[in-house]
Amino acid sequence: MAGLKIDHVTKNFAETEVLKGVSLDVADGEFVSLVGPSGCGKSTLLRIIAGLEEPTSGDIRLGDKSVARVRAADRNLSMVFQSYALYPHLSVAENIAVPLKLRKLSAAQRAPILGRFMPGAKGALAEIGVAIENAAEMLDILPLLNRKPGHLSGGQRQRVALARALVRDPAAFLLDEPLSNLDAKLRVQTRVEIAQLHRQLRATFIYVTHDQVEAMTMSDRIAVMMSGEILQCASPAEIYENPNDLRVAEFIGSPKINVLPVAQSEHGLTLLGQPLGLTAERAVTTIALRPEALCLAGSAATLTGTVAHTENLGAEIFAQIAVAGLDTPIVLRAEPQDRPRLSLGALVGLSFDPAAALLFDAKGKRVRGAPIPARTLEGVL
Amino acid sequence: MNRETRAAWALAAPALVLMGLILILPVGIAGLLSFTDYSLGNPGFNWVGFDNYEKLFTRSTYEKMFIATFTYVVTVVPLSVALGLGAALLINSMGRIGEIYKTIYFLPVMATLLAMAIAWEFMLHPTIGMVNRWLEAGCGTLIEQLWPWFATSCADGFPVWLGDKRYAIWIVAFIGIWQGFGFNMVLYLAGLTAVHRELYNAAEMDGAKSGWERFRLVTWPALGPTTVFVVTISCIRAFQVFDTVESFFPQNGGPGKSAYVMMFAIYQKGVQQNLIGIGSAITVMFLIFVMFMTLIQRWLVERKVHYA
Repeated sequence: MAGLKIDHVTKNFAETEVLKGVSLDVADGEFVSLVGPSGCGKSTLLRIIAGLEEPTSGDIRLGDKSVARVRAADRNLSMVFQSYALYPHLSVAENIAVPLKLRKLSAAQRAPILGRFMPGAKGALAEIGVAIENAAEMLDILPLLNRKPGHLSGGQRQRVALARALVRDPAAFLLDEPLSNLDAKLRVQTRVEIAQLHRQLRATFIYVTHDQVEAMTMSDRIAVMMSGEILQCASPAEIYENPNDLRVAEFIGSPKINVLPVAQSEHGLTLLGQPLGLTAERAVTTIALRPEALCLAGSAATLTGTVAHTENLGAEIFAQIAVAGLDTPIVLRAEPQDRPRLSLGALVGLSFDPAAALLFDAKGKRVRGAPIPARTLEGVL
Repeated sequence: MNRETRAAWALAAPALVLMGLILILPVGIAGLLSFTDYSLGNPGFNWVGFDNYEKLFTRSTYEKMFIATFTYVVTVVPLSVALGLGAALLINSMGRIGEIYKTIYFLPVMATLLAMAIAWEFMLHPTIGMVNRWLEAGCGTLIEQLWPWFATSCADGFPVWLGDKRYAIWIVAFIGIWQGFGFNMVLYLAGLTAVHRELYNAAEMDGAKSGWERFRLVTWPALGPTTVFVVTISCIRAFQVFDTVESFFPQNGGPGKSAYVMMFAIYQKGVQQNLIGIGSAITVMFLIFVMFMTLIQRWLVERKVHYA
């Protein structure tokens, strides 16, 4: 087990700059997710950490040693691949045994047929057998040990891939979208299991995903990547509540955060001509509001619009409210008891606490805002 | 029979009739004729029982036929498969230049073997052929001291390759390999494209450091189905060798019948000498060998190489 330090790593494929100087510190035993849309370079970064890809510049440190010049096989990292990459001709037990056999047995002991008669082979094979059993038990795949991967379901293959990764004691686990080939129900279940596995092993996990829900639910910290950079790396709560970039705010959270254009006036920020009671230290062009920051309001509404679409999830309702002057409808999270008010085409008012609004400048960088003291506002309203 | 079954039979009928007429019937006739002394043009024939087969297993001519055929198959199949695989792996590991090699290695497959045999015949000519001329150029050098055979040849003259019964079948086999391995290479190249790239990454992460280990863990198992196919095809093609022998030794199948392979024997007995009975018997033997190869492929190997 060891911490991991990624130091100004860049990667170019021919002319294309895939990673633009990425730095990240992962503490020993931490679960860090790299999350971002496809093509953001997260998989490339993981492959660079693994040693399957060489960085154009920069350094990777495992513990206190630089491994940038160490080949993947010698880095003592485990990886779970998106396709699971199980050896199709080997049984589950043999698949799990591969990393141990390649490391613990000499070339002569690995030789087909004769290998098991080499001195020391018997003891080593018995040890490997025990390790396989333990790993299989941990992942609940003991009954599958003699089967071939071709006869397993997607979820079972995924477990075998995990077992193969944890059968030896690696410095860190690298997981490359391991859940993306599972159906939705299994994904939720496996999500929990991987998180529990992490708590049980107390190992360093680096988890690549494009699914922000996976990142939010499993990680200690999330690194949001976009176009070859880490935009923000913080705890899931911090990323959600306090994004420092509009792209982070838009990527994390479902339904997507509402992004509204605002203007600056002498009385602070205005939205569609209405003062919000907010000022900012710098120029602000947009504010972003989570669907749950908005609430239905009567006469004191900041915005009014008509219900364009509703999604009833049982415990909550997401309503799209079309507001005149805005290109995209505003998404609102409402309680089930509000359902009668949210019939299609109904006119509703929306209000929100200005303190809950996230302010961004023209470049999408976060701007800290401050409420304007009520006294100064009195004359305006 | 209900409508659907009738329609199914009606639709399958043309194919069944054709298969019976052009595949099964001729084989059946050959099988029947192998028990007769029939000759083309004769008004009738006599049943001779197993006489023809008895000849096959007692006469020295046919013993030579079996020896020549099996020598050829046992040499050509492993070597052309191994060379095909080696060439495919090498070409697969290189970029653009690989295309050039691919074309070069595939040229002999595309060329007419009959024409190529004539070219080889010139090259192997004992006095004016380039093979022996090159070998002679080595006389008096270090090779002579290191290789006794070379020294003897320098003193007594280099072999009359195609006229010497010690060499003839090996020359035929060499040309068979030279001509056939490019085909196997192309089949293996196709097989290699199906190898999952991520498996190589997994092998690296699992600690497979040498190319040999990656080959054993990923490439070779993935090429299993291809190998079964390549070996079977190579075997059948090797049993069918004919044009090289026919163009080198049109009279008698090589010096001392040393290259008297089955196909040539069928041609000579059945067509040239009009001994349909014995020709059919050899044909039946040939079919049994090929059938045997196919069954081995299906029963023993195919189960082991398809993993899903």
